[in-house]
Amino acid sequence: MGKYPRWPIHLALLAASFVMLVPFYWVLKTSISGENIFAYPPSIIPRDPNPFYYVDVWYAIPFARFFLNSVVVSVITIVANVVLNAMAGYSLTQRFLGKSAVLMLFLSCMMIPFQTTIIPAYLITGKLGLLDSYLGLALPMFSTIICIFVFKASFDAIPRSLIDAARIDGLSDWNIIWKVMMPLAKSAMATNVILSFIWSWNNFMWPLIATRSADMQTLPLGLARFLSYQEDSTGALYAFCIMVLAPGILLFLLAQREFVQGLTSGAAKG
Amino acid sequence: MNDEDISRPKWKRWLLNRFVLVPAALVLITVGWNLWVVTHDHGIVEGRVVDAAGAPVEGAEVRLWVFNFATFVVKASTTTRPDGSFEFADNPSHNIQVSAEKPGTGRSARVPIRLYFASEDFVLKDPLRLTDGS
Repeated sequence: MGKYPRWPIHLALLAASFVMLVPFYWVLKTSISGENIFAYPPSIIPRDPNPFYYVDVWYAIPFARFFLNSVVVSVITIVANVVLNAMAGYSLTQRFLGKSAVLMLFLSCMMIPFQTTIIPAYLITGKLGLLDSYLGLALPMFSTIICIFVFKASFDAIPRSLIDAARIDGLSDWNIIWKVMMPLAKSAMATNVILSFIWSWNNFMWPLIATRSADMQTLPLGLARFLSYQEDSTGALYAFCIMVLAPGILLFLLAQREFVQGLTSGAAKG
Repeated sequence: MNDEDISRPKWKRWLLNRFVLVPAALVLITVGWNLWVVTHDHGIVEGRVVDAAGAPVEGAEVRLWVFNFATFVVKASTTTRPDGSFEFADNPSHNIQVSAEKPGTGRSARVPIRLYFASEDFVLKDPLRLTDGS
């Protein structure tokens, strides 16, 4: 590595970071200045920055209620994902008849878009009496195949001898998962938390279908409602976007190290 | 986790990490902000009205305009005291305007006022100046 200078790599990374961060900066800048996004020449530094578009958003819709709904649904989704995906991931590390078929089934099911399963999901949720409830809003996202494979990859990287030793000591499979595997798979857990949070937080289609009362709506639905009668206010719209995005970005920044580790664990097994 | 982390007491490892400290800081900020709001949301809007020469105007009608969906509507009105001061005590909004008028003296422009929260107590720094009274 010492043979080649590192600055070209850093330069390329800086350029890539700039390209990716500019849209975020533009949204943030417009949210505090309300400037016309089509103005030419565009101003890089916000003129007369103020927080009042955020105040407008707060009072234009029941933001606190929508935020609470999104938080509750996301927490339910995260807990369900960590528990169910860990169990599923652990089972896929075991040897059993038809394991390859199950893996193939899982992989092929990843290609089915959620939109095609909405009607059965709606009917099942309705039969369970969970429509227009927090549990019903979280139900279709209780387990995701990608996150199962994240756990599987992480569990695969744990030496088999450790599981055998735990089994000889008399631990059940349940205890092996929670007392042996999970403490060694914190990165996979962080990845599960972040991915399930982001998917749940940003989900629009399912809450649109599964909610009936305005009190049960989540933030993406609130954004759609807000757009319907505040379409002339660019600053307020962008402020709303920042308020919706902020929790996800904060969570990612908090757990980014674990997140990246979780995505790459198992990639260099052995 | 390095050796130094492991040697720390368990409670420190649980409490003194970014997953606890950042949410705790956010909770503290939220509680502090709400305390500030609760103690400053009486809906009081105060100010003064002066004439073109800068002298206080008594008996001028001051109107409080409140943003209502798409436009501003008059929410309340009051008259100024002998020293030209006025006060509204029931502003419900965060986006308001105030204007003053007195026949024979003139009228002021509508002054927009943006507040950080609804019903925030506010004192107008510059007086409302009545002009063009003819």
